[in-house]
Amino acid sequence: MIYFDSAATSFQKPASVAAAMWEALASMSSPGRGGYPAAARAADTAFQCRSELAELFGLRNPEQVVFTLNATHALNLAIKSLVPPGGKAVISGYEHNAVTRPLAALNTQVSVAEAPLFAPEAATEAFRRLVVPGVDAVICSHVSNVFGFIQPVEEIAELCRSRKVPFIIDASQSAGVLPLNMEALGAAFIAMPGHKGLYGPQGTGVLLCGDGVPTRPLLEGGTGSMSIQQQMPDFLPDRLEAGTLNMPGIAGLLAGVRYVRRGGLAKILDHEQHLTRLAIQGLENLPGLRLFTSPGLQHQTGVLSLTAEGMDVEAIGSALAERGIAVRAGIHCAPCAHRTAGTLDTGTVRISFSDFNTPEEVARLLRAIRGVLGRLF
Amino acid sequence: MEHYIILARSVTYAQRMRKSLDRAGIRCQIFRPPRDLTELGCAYAVRVAVSDLPGALTALHKDRLDPVQIFIYQQGQYQEVDP
Repeated sequence: MIYFDSAATSFQKPASVAAAMWEALASMSSPGRGGYPAAARAADTAFQCRSELAELFGLRNPEQVVFTLNATHALNLAIKSLVPPGGKAVISGYEHNAVTRPLAALNTQVSVAEAPLFAPEAATEAFRRLVVPGVDAVICSHVSNVFGFIQPVEEIAELCRSRKVPFIIDASQSAGVLPLNMEALGAAFIAMPGHKGLYGPQGTGVLLCGDGVPTRPLLEGGTGSMSIQQQMPDFLPDRLEAGTLNMPGIAGLLAGVRYVRRGGLAKILDHEQHLTRLAIQGLENLPGLRLFTSPGLQHQTGVLSLTAEGMDVEAIGSALAERGIAVRAGIHCAPCAHRTAGTLDTGTVRISFSDFNTPEEVARLLRAIRGVLGRLF
Repeated sequence: MEHYIILARSVTYAQRMRKSLDRAGIRCQIFRPPRDLTELGCAYAVRVAVSDLPGALTALHKDRLDPVQIFIYQQGQYQEVDP
């Protein structure tokens, strides 16, 4: 199989990730649950992972790095910490259901800062009109999971700081690809998966918490600290980490983070954008095909959506799967993004690259798409 | 052997303390203190040599890592001391 669905989860991982997970299974129990060597090894690994994530994302205190199940879990924690039932939130026009469903569950008054695709200035202006005192939180995906659109989070962060409105960044598609500095941005929270651009295993996610930002647990339970007290501890990470941590996952995530830091974000982004350019060059002249691209990829990562006139996107996805190529067709759990881009009725076929894809794989993808279009037309 | 233990609010906090002390060149160990030392329940602490306590407190203060409590261990018993 040739895998081009890394915006959902990166399937190919560094070999060190699986090795670290095996090592964790063989030698680690649970951090904060004992003074014996297996517990100490687990605690050291969890702390090392927090510390390296803190360094990667510009946080001084590793206690502000909270492990979660995935980005959805992290976003739920962030949103439900800041937005009360019936509260007010401003979101971008490119949000995932991981943002919009928790807001709907809270019966939030949501204002959408709509802007055309690949138009960051328009996005900033849309936020400028809507971010006013009294808004409980501004939430914005750094990169659209459907279109790879890089949103202007630095400008939105500056706006939120000046208007004293908490800012939540969904870094699901940018963590491990684009630089993000939590303290420079002054964000309240940054949520991310461990299993996409950070190359950790599924079942891992991270919530970076701003210093002094109020937090509300979604779960209560054991933390290995303040055990007599029947309320959750008031300090991080324990406050948001009830129950046993996923140590094999965290060990794998640490290996993934080290892979990313060794290679460097810029190199990974360059590689993924290079592959995206190859795909665009090979597809842009095909009749009936519509590609969603930012000129020169100025505002786009290694995610490429397309539609074909008169063809169902799921049929294209299935036909590519028959040829051993994995892409994602449909709405991508992001009706908000499709509504903004005008593709809600059709959906798109999404091709998303990782550091492990090659130009040869892209060449095979192009041949397969040409074959599929020829057969289905 | 006499030593001091510096209580931390959590295992992660104890690890931050150890990192701070490592940077200051002070040897320490993380361990679980006796149950009766704290009314908080499960706890973690770092253990340092008696001669290292002033330097340890300076390093922790510099890194804004305030101890929950400090105890001295001598003659088989722990006794709380002021920071």
